[in-house]
Amino acid sequence: MTTTAPTAPTAEPRTERLAITREGGRMIADYWEDLFVARESGRKIVWYNGGALNPMFQAAGLAWCHGEAFAARLAAQRLEGPAQLAGAEYGYNAELCSYSRTHLGCAVLTLKGSEEPDSGVVGLHDRADLAAKLPAPDLFVNNYAGCSTGQQWDEVSYRVFGKNVPIFNVSHPFLWGNRPDAGYLVGSEWDEASRYVRDQLVELIDFLEVQTGRPFDYDALSESMTYIKRAGELRREGLDLCKATPAPATFWDWISCIAPINFLPGNQALVDYFQNVKDEIQQRIDAGISGVRDEKYRLYFDGIMNWNKLGFLSRKFAEHGAAVLAGRYIQNAFWQEPHLIDTSDPLLGMAQHYLLCPTNHGSKTLDHLTLRDCESYGIDGIVFHSTRTCRAFTGPQRLLARSARDNLGIPSIFFEGDVADASFYKEEILDSRLVAMLEAIDVARERGDHRRAGRGAEVAWPA
Amino acid sequence: MPESAALQRLRDAARDPRAYVAQWRAHHPGCFVVGVMPMNFPREIALAAGVLPVYVQDDQRPVAEGRAYLPEFYCGYTRNLADQAATGRLDHFDALLLADHCIQLLGASDVARAIGDRPVFFGMLISSLSDSWAEKKIAEMMGHFRAEFEKLSGAPVEDEALALAIEAYNADRQLLRRVFDERAAGDTTWSPVELQDMVVSAQVMDPVEHHDLLVEALAAAPRGERDDRVRVHLSGHLCHAPRRELLEVIEETGAVVVDDDLWSGRRYVQSLVPFTPGEDPMSAIGRWYAERNVDLPCPTRVQHDVDWDAWLIDATRRSGAEVVVHLMPKFCEPHMLFYPELRKALDAAGIPQLLVETEHEGIPLEALRTRLEALVERAVRHRPAYA
Ligand code: SF4
Ligand code: SF4
Repeated sequence: MTTTAPTAPTAEPRTERLAITREGGRMIADYWEDLFVARESGRKIVWYNGGALNPMFQAAGLAWCHGEAFAARLAAQRLEGPAQLAGAEYGYNAELCSYSRTHLGCAVLTLKGSEEPDSGVVGLHDRADLAAKLPAPDLFVNNYAGCSTGQQWDEVSYRVFGKNVPIFNVSHPFLWGNRPDAGYLVGSEWDEASRYVRDQLVELIDFLEVQTGRPFDYDALSESMTYIKRAGELRREGLDLCKATPAPATFWDWISCIAPINFLPGNQALVDYFQNVKDEIQQRIDAGISGVRDEKYRLYFDGIMNWNKLGFLSRKFAEHGAAVLAGRYIQNAFWQEPHLIDTSDPLLGMAQHYLLCPTNHGSKTLDHLTLRDCESYGIDGIVFHSTRTCRAFTGPQRLLARSARDNLGIPSIFFEGDVADASFYKEEILDSRLVAMLEAIDVARERGDHRRAGRGAEVAWPA
Repeated sequence: MPESAALQRLRDAARDPRAYVAQWRAHHPGCFVVGVMPMNFPREIALAAGVLPVYVQDDQRPVAEGRAYLPEFYCGYTRNLADQAATGRLDHFDALLLADHCIQLLGASDVARAIGDRPVFFGMLISSLSDSWAEKKIAEMMGHFRAEFEKLSGAPVEDEALALAIEAYNADRQLLRRVFDERAAGDTTWSPVELQDMVVSAQVMDPVEHHDLLVEALAAAPRGERDDRVRVHLSGHLCHAPRRELLEVIEETGAVVVDDDLWSGRRYVQSLVPFTPGEDPMSAIGRWYAERNVDLPCPTRVQHDVDWDAWLIDATRRSGAEVVVHLMPKFCEPHMLFYPELRKALDAAGIPQLLVETEHEGIPLEALRTRLEALVERAVRHRPAYA
């Protein structure tokens, strides 16, 4: 039997990242800079986790800090060390969700900073320490769906701050699918959960009014949700364009677009940004430019992002001619169903998006979504990021791998890494497994059995 | 002292729940047995429907086939559950039900649902207990459980049956709690392993049968008095029992366990359903859930004015415990998150403590022994000179 070896990695980069994402990077940098001076400009600061509540905070005139986003940012800039060290000294175990332990470490540093006000001595804090120090919160709001750790994390932050900062919790029913009519966006369970979360958002508005001392501006909420809805639509349209072969942009480009859709203010600049993303993708299709030069394989990425290795992973896959095109963290997250939003009364649609967190579904629904996306993007194989400290994303992965193999004949590999702790990343495992999977895809193609490489194959479980 | 037959039967049920379920089925032909997941399931509703609800235990067998279903960085209990599901070791249950939102427990239950052919029902009890709407949501969910058991048994669950079920579980828990309170007050009749068997068997058995055996076992035992061994409080170990050899080592190092907040200990027995005859039994069951976290705080629940750390310090004062040993199952996220708060509070109170991370396949006992001996020595040095 002859096999075609996967294209040998080349020295020349084969990735063609979207140029517009640099503009996104600038918008994000501006946003964080603004947050750091919010208190000086008279705004109160809310720390929150989970679903994108930023339009609520925008309408309430607050400055907002998304804990996961800040932890991800530190990890992507390789500045997570001091916060994680502070967390470890405080007692957090290295196996604890690294988003939470990074962010709790930031809380410890922030608290230390406010208890020991800057002495004015130059060099008291090093650069990384400063980067990890957030402006202290005036209030907490927890909006975590799916993962129980998300809710407990904010409760612990509240305790780290000595219970002196008011906190509000939004509870999200897990979309388990008990009833026969349960399914994605349908069924009585979905309807009831949507109404329940919507009602809690009304309570949240009362809480925000008390905290800000101002009436909530519903018109401002509608306005920002109008922009966010439009940005969400453009994002979806851009994602659909990436179904083309070869794909004009990759999953990694979309990862770079997460921060804007996840927490930037709803305004015209946000819409313009996603219009530009979509336009650049369309221009590439017109010009025959692909996200990975000489695309040979089309892959799906399941798992939360490995922020320490973002650029590195995108190059690694591209070196093999592998275009990573879709993933649970992109297609099934972040205002992904904009049609649900009624901009004149946006609370229900917002609640529904919070419930649609990709960790808030039972494996039946996840399976439906994964198979759907694998089919529509013409996927050849799945890469599971076995995210060491994120049990929410990793729990259903083995079931999903089996289903993709049994239902679509798609092979999978698992590689070990983590959301914000680089020490868990195992490069050799990814290398050897990726090559083996690409070889299996080649063999199946030679047999004329395109996209059936996984048929009858054993799933390569993590070691 | 020779072990009583009653105690032996409790131990057998605790250590081999499958055999107990088989016996129960033989005496109750046509009745259903459901597996329920820890730690807050309203078993009274199941019992009132004529269904035997059994808390699913870690059966302590090594995880083999389960590795293909859940990652190795899930807690030992959930990996063991996945293994039980993968190898047919949950087949003695007609259905599985859970009420607790722990993402790892959900992961394991989802595996059981995907690869098994029995229903797996998740009725998520609200975990954020400070919310003004918590009471309403608890009542709603309890109603869903009632409807589910009516569907399973094919008959309405009557209020009288609920009242009887509440009384049966309350009587059993109350008796167990008496044993724990007596231990905290100085009684050393029972070793930690024996107490664990009493509690785990209660999590498995029919409550009336368990209560009767427990009465017998307690009556047969002469009372032991506390001596000057170092007094230990065991803390944590949610959802499943620690390995017995670990409990044995603790007492072999010259310490005596005087109290705990383990799931296979006081955490299970602490709360009774606050029911008075004539009132609505469902609302009493709802209050039981809401108050459980006040009676003994749990890091899986979120309640701003309830503190596990403060509870722990009070508990050591009540029992006279001189040291705290935290038993933390490896990868148990809620425990990992809350542990620094416990550590901080105990440090502030000057109570020596030791963190032991337990692993499903066991931990090196000799290394543990050395650490425990050091803790015991520290505690002795801590004692006032006249002691
Ligand atoms: S474990 Fe994963 S889903 Fe849960 S809080 Fe951490 S990052 Fe979020
Ligand atoms: S609470 Fe801890 S022990 Fe229980 S299932 Fe969750 S992780 Fe495991």
